[in-house]
Amino acid sequence: MGLPNVMLTGRSGMVAAKAAIATSGHNVANANTEGYSRQRVIQATDTPQKGPGSGALIGQGTTIARVERVNDEYVEKQLRNSGRNLANCEEKEVVLKQTEDIFNEMGGEGLNRLVARFFNEFRKLANEPDNEAVRQSVREASQALVNDFHRLRNSVDDVRKHIDARIEAHCKEVNSLGEELRDLNQKVRAVEIGGASPNDLLDQRDAVLRKLGSYMDLNMHKDKEGNYVVDIVGVGPLVAGPNTEKFYVRRSPSDDQGKPENAYDVVSTASSKSVITHQVKGGKLGGLIDTRDKTLSTILDRLDDLAFTLSNSVNEIHRQGFTRHGVRGMDFFGPVMIKERAAEFIQLSDAVQSSVNNIATAAIPDAPGDNRIAIAISGIQNMRIMSDQKATMDDFYNSIVSDVGVAVARNKSTMHQQKDIQTQLGKIRDQISGVSIDEETANLLQFQHAFDASAKVIQVADRMMETVLNLKK
Amino acid sequence: MRVTENTNYDTVRDSIRRTKERMEGLQHQSATLKKLNAPGDNPVGAAKVLEVRTDKVNNDQFLMNAKLAATFLENSDHAVGELSDIVARAKEIALGQSSGASSNQDTRLGIAEEVTQLFQQAVATGNRRVGDRYLFGGYKVNRPPVDQDGKYIGDDGQMMVEVTKDVFISMNVPGDEIFNTNPEGLKQGSSMGGYEMATRGPAAEDSETAAQTMQPENTNIFDELQNLRIGLLTGDLDGIRSCLERFDDMHAKLIAQRAKIGSRLRGLETTNNALERTNITNATLTSSIEDADMAQVVSELAKEETVFRSALQSAQKLVQPTLMDFLR
Repeated sequence: MGLPNVMLTGRSGMVAAKAAIATSGHNVANANTEGYSRQRVIQATDTPQKGPGSGALIGQGTTIARVERVNDEYVEKQLRNSGRNLANCEEKEVVLKQTEDIFNEMGGEGLNRLVARFFNEFRKLANEPDNEAVRQSVREASQALVNDFHRLRNSVDDVRKHIDARIEAHCKEVNSLGEELRDLNQKVRAVEIGGASPNDLLDQRDAVLRKLGSYMDLNMHKDKEGNYVVDIVGVGPLVAGPNTEKFYVRRSPSDDQGKPENAYDVVSTASSKSVITHQVKGGKLGGLIDTRDKTLSTILDRLDDLAFTLSNSVNEIHRQGFTRHGVRGMDFFGPVMIKERAAEFIQLSDAVQSSVNNIATAAIPDAPGDNRIAIAISGIQNMRIMSDQKATMDDFYNSIVSDVGVAVARNKSTMHQQKDIQTQLGKIRDQISGVSIDEETANLLQFQHAFDASAKVIQVADRMMETVLNLKK
Repeated sequence: MRVTENTNYDTVRDSIRRTKERMEGLQHQSATLKKLNAPGDNPVGAAKVLEVRTDKVNNDQFLMNAKLAATFLENSDHAVGELSDIVARAKEIALGQSSGASSNQDTRLGIAEEVTQLFQQAVATGNRRVGDRYLFGGYKVNRPPVDQDGKYIGDDGQMMVEVTKDVFISMNVPGDEIFNTNPEGLKQGSSMGGYEMATRGPAAEDSETAAQTMQPENTNIFDELQNLRIGLLTGDLDGIRSCLERFDDMHAKLIAQRAKIGSRLRGLETTNNALERTNITNATLTSSIEDADMAQVVSELAKEETVFRSALQSAQKLVQPTLMDFLR
């Protein structure tokens, strides 16, 4: 064991301390980088050697075994899942809020009031069937009702279009994230082959996976080389080795699962069936598709049902009556043949539009005071003609409003829960992987002292060397 | 537990967000004075509010209907009252002129003139209008139901109005019910009605028709006045005497009609009161679902403000010092 070795021992300590200080610096610098895991230098003793003249082993200093990131895969996975649920709720929140606004008549006009007004105009007409002004007002109220049906349907359609636009944007995002993940897999692999741990790349890869996971239900496992292999639950692989599957959107006819005519289908190369609209679950995409094809489709179907039943039951009675001109068999609403899109097609009949005298009030001809038809029409309001004779029109419409409210309220409470879970998980991740400035400051001091002390070792060795060299003088 | 600065900041941010969110909600409530601003705030309550609102609109309409029916019925009542006065006067005349002792040709001719007046008065009363609608024409409201000869040319239409949910009353009395003691006898051979409502038609409330098949003889007020006049002109004392009983029948019938109209009016009042009460109950119910309790909102706002302040204060303590501050 020579003195130069003692110098080397000091040097190894200085190198290790410098690396630790650099790592602390890196931690502090990245304290606010999203998805960053704090890193630490793992030191190990260098292989000891036998000292001269004895069998004792003398330490040779230290080496940097590796730099590792402090990270818990299980917490990362939980964060991914809760992030997905939160994204799902947040995405729904946006579109449900829009839908709620459409049906919100707590502070103003809406279909509920207009339906009530429609029937009461017929009651007024029953009071004065021969009054032209009242007839005008019946037609005006009916037109307002028809317009509101159109407004509701068009507005909900607009929400669907908005959803489609988001689905398209999300698909593009998924494609680019998939590619990013594939590239990171390759970069990580390249570094790992060299034997080092690419901590920052690992963090980046986790962050990309977390983002990708917010779009739909995904499963991730590592293959034997440590690559992330990502599967879409219920569909097939998304990222596997050098391959990433692509997502597209395509307009298509309506299907039996509630997808409306002309709305986007999600198409992917990941599945042999190519159309995966209804296989994609959870996350942003799942939330949007679910809202579009279930929540909104149900609402529109019921709205159509209402418009269809209203126009047909009013017509049925109206046709039995005589108009001011003694004509029988006139329609009040224009013919609506099928339930589908009835709320869009409902309108006043041409006859009523051209003259208010074509509104029939009398059950017998030449009886201007006969109000029986008008009364019968106003009686529709209290008839249980919706939902298999179980609900009146008012009940039926109110239940639509209440269902929209339930959807919003339920989503909101789930979202609050998920937000809490996410916050909690974020804290847990931070406990493990987060950078503490205090801690790093303390580490800096510690390593600085180690650095100073190691330098001192070299200094002492130098003096010893001097002493040895001066022996001859 | 390892606590990093980011955990601290997150906690601060989170608690501020929560308080702000709650304050925002309370602020909105105090600005609108409502706790139900969108269906999502209380889905079941929202449906209830809509239901009650429809009830209110309908009830207001029913009240309007009742008011209109009352106007019609009151006017009918007055007209029927006038008719019974006419009948009473006619009977008085008939009584005075029915014996040869108390009348002679000249007085009878003079009195006949008065009966003509009474007849015209009766026709005018039978053609009484509210606004431009004839009271006694049945469904034929736009032309006089009694012609110059005292012939009824209206129909037996009953104009039903809904005065409370699914309860209908007739707002008019068709002329033939008033001008005849037994309209069934009159109606034979006429082809009125025959229309059955396809759905739930408001049923006419008169059910006395069955009983009247026993006494088919009918007396018509206009015919009887004419009979009296002719009797007076021709000096047919038997004829005049025979009028007496029929005027009595007529008078009784008119009184009965007034009673019927009166009972409808009372019925209206009862339903009106019930509707007003329902409206008040409904308003209370809506208010309890919809309206914010301001005292509660304000006190909660004050509480949240305190929470918010203390969150900010503790944030100041939590965030400020790091080890750096002590190592200079």
